[in-house]
Amino acid sequence: MKLLEINQLAVSYGSIKALHGIDLELNKGEIVSLLGANGAGKSTTLRAISRMLPITSGDILYNGTSLIKCPAHDVVARGIAHVPEGRGIFPSLTVLENLKLATWTTQKSNLANLYSSVFDLFPRLAERKAQLAGTLSGGEQQMLAVGRAIMTDCQLVLLDEPSMGLSPRLCKEVFQALQEINKQGKTILLVEQNANMALKIAHRGYVLENGRIVLTGSAEELIRDPRVKEAYLGTHKHALGANTGN
Amino acid sequence: MEIIIQQLLNAAQLGAVYALIALGYTMVYGILRMINFAHGDIFMVGAFIGFLLATTVNMPLVLMMPLTMLLTAFVGIAIERVAYRKLRDANRMSLVITALGVGIFLENFVRMVVGPQTRQIPAQLPDKILTFGSGLVVTEDKLLIILISLALMTILWLFTNKTLMGTAMRAVADNADVIPLMGINLNRVIAVTFAIGSALAAAGGIFYGQAYSIDPYMGIDLGWKAFIAAVIGGIGSIEGAVLGSFMLAGVEVFTVAYLSSNLKNGIAFGLLILLLLIWPSGIMGKPMIKKV
Ligand SMILES: Nc1ncnc2c1ncn2[C@@H]1O[C@H](COP(=O)(O)OP(=O)(O)OP(=O)(O)O)[C@@H](O)[C@H]1O
Ligand SMILES: [Mg+2]
Repeated sequence: MKLLEINQLAVSYGSIKALHGIDLELNKGEIVSLLGANGAGKSTTLRAISRMLPITSGDILYNGTSLIKCPAHDVVARGIAHVPEGRGIFPSLTVLENLKLATWTTQKSNLANLYSSVFDLFPRLAERKAQLAGTLSGGEQQMLAVGRAIMTDCQLVLLDEPSMGLSPRLCKEVFQALQEINKQGKTILLVEQNANMALKIAHRGYVLENGRIVLTGSAEELIRDPRVKEAYLGTHKHALGANTGN
Repeated sequence: MEIIIQQLLNAAQLGAVYALIALGYTMVYGILRMINFAHGDIFMVGAFIGFLLATTVNMPLVLMMPLTMLLTAFVGIAIERVAYRKLRDANRMSLVITALGVGIFLENFVRMVVGPQTRQIPAQLPDKILTFGSGLVVTEDKLLIILISLALMTILWLFTNKTLMGTAMRAVADNADVIPLMGINLNRVIAVTFAIGSALAAAGGIFYGQAYSIDPYMGIDLGWKAFIAAVIGGIGSIEGAVLGSFMLAGVEVFTVAYLSSNLKNGIAFGLLILLLLIWPSGIMGKPMIKKV
């Protein structure tokens, strides 16, 4: 069943075209990875879905209804959480306050369950409830950002480079948490430059280049595809874009 | 000794009025990084709304004060909606100039409606004279002004620290771009901030109009003083605005009492410069690490 369907989506920043009519779909329960080099338009795609950016043309359907006329703050109420690039936590609020803010549109009867699922997934956050979020380590901040997405009680999570700046070990921890969230029923759209990590947990993937989808397939196909190998898996030193991680 | 306590109470009364105004400066700055230079004039508008309600329909204070605060809150919301919202992403300088323009508009609008004379809001607070111990004389209204102001500040503190909307207001100061991703309508948070700041200023206006007098230009001088108080305390910080207000009022009252009333402003502004040399971001302000 299709959860999200993007048709011919085009987005511009002033006169600069960032997306030239892309098509993308997500089925319920999938982890789909959106890969691409710096400036390919990955974050732009996510910001368009969460309606943080005006759309030039095309359509975004979520559960069959268009999001085009939906203001950004209503997208969350419809069930889409966006963990932005750079995590976007509120540094001068505590961990608990950060989580609480994400419950603005959540049904109050679900709160207890949501808190316990966040703290089960990330016991480190439970230990640091009263700590100011700005004093958390990078990995913990990423956990908090994912925790906030869970608190919105969403069906779909958009993640923008969760591996950015994390040590391989923490990265693994965060990706395991993403798999766990997926098992619990959430659909995930995962933007990554770290194609290796992303394709390990993803079911399918898309490759974005200069605002166009140039390749799509199952995760196994993409891992084996020589173009992906060359450009994003680091087997070739002078690959298409800058993609050695961060 | 009694005289010093008496002066401290005078300072507390003036400080309470400064604080009620300073809170609006600091809250708006906290979320928009903007000095709302029309805020002193919102305080004046509040005073005149109270004056009109008290004089034309003889509304008793217990009704007049909440109604004035409510109406002034809508004035604040309207100003933000009409004059500032479109400029939110513009150069800060455009916003500041717009705010100055809104202030001039309010002064002249009120002057046109009620005239330029100095007025007084009919005293409605009980003003029995209380005598404590060996000759400490206090009027009831002074105590009430101080106590009601402190109560309003306590409510504000509880609101910003304990409620979801209050938490959202602090979050806007941190990272406004992420607010919609939490499902929160940023415009609503900003409107609530203007509403609260304006309502508190209106309370200050009523108290000021009872204790002293009001005229269409009262917001200029008082607005600057409250702004200075907010800066001394650390603009953006609610606790700082209150602390700065009581400090400034203390300096002013004691300068007038023991030195000279001509020195009042010189000393107040001198204090600002001195304190900012020691604490460049104000006593309780956070050093600016973020972009302005
Ligand atoms: N606010 C903006 N104004 C103008 N151009 C922008 C803006 N944001 C992004 N762009 C441009 O749009 C294109 C796509 O940017 P986007 O941020 O979506 O890339 P990305 O794939 O997320 O890259 P990265 O991996 O570096 O995060 C880039 O060419 C970028 O320069
Ligand atoms: Mg990006």
